[in-house]
Amino acid sequence: MSRNPEDPVFNQIEATRTSLGLSRQELADRVGVHYQTIGYLERGEYSPSLVLALRIAQALNKEVSELFSLTERKKGKK
Amino acid sequence: MPTKNKFYWLEGVTEKGTRALLTDENSKFKWLRSQRNRRLLVVINLLGIVLVSLGSYFPVLKTNLNISTETEIVVFSVTAVFVIALTLGAYSFLRVAVRGIADAPDELLDERQIQVRNSSYRYAYFAMANLVLVVFLLFFFGPDLQLFQPEGNDGSYLVIATLFAYASAPSLFIAWRERDI
Repeated sequence: MSRNPEDPVFNQIEATRTSLGLSRQELADRVGVHYQTIGYLERGEYSPSLVLALRIAQALNKEVSELFSLTERKKGKK
Repeated sequence: MPTKNKFYWLEGVTEKGTRALLTDENSKFKWLRSQRNRRLLVVINLLGIVLVSLGSYFPVLKTNLNISTETEIVVFSVTAVFVIALTLGAYSFLRVAVRGIADAPDELLDERQIQVRNSSYRYAYFAMANLVLVVFLLFFFGPDLQLFQPEGNDGSYLVIATLFAYASAPSLFIAWRERDI
């Protein structure tokens, strides 16, 4: 459920989360959302607000620009 | 030290009850939350609403049952109570299946859940606006209906069905649209 389905926001949440060994529930607890919301974000079916994007970036020790992009990044490229 | 259980007057829910519904941990009803079961509940709820509304047309719909009037009243009353109880039960399961999101206050939901809840109310409003139009047409152009009268077609079943539809519409949309994650 994107804010604007014509402009999807791509993200590296799943790759970063798994590389840190975190489960969806653990990441959800860190950022204060339901674990389903993390699932929707990872599948690109929901675009987060700026504050949620910042909280996710903080929880994963990344910059927002490293996690989110308007164009799809190739696998392995971070 | 016992924690305070806040009551949300607008939504008519308690904080503890809502939090218990929102989580999957230790939930006896986790099996209800798969998309397949949620959609099945949507169908059962809609069927229940239709059956309750048909109660208003029982005298029109009944055929030659060859039973006395007294027996007919008993059969009809017992069936009506059974169908209403069944629909009420299905509605309760539906609320659990969608984690009570439709009735939860903002402060207990995350931003996506708030968006899901708000859009479900938008769809429910459009659906109910059309349904109420159909109910009005039935009252005006359908078989004669009377409200709260001991004889004739009792339109109160149509009213009860409409109330069921109003209460469950947002949860019906959430149950149908949410995906398994």
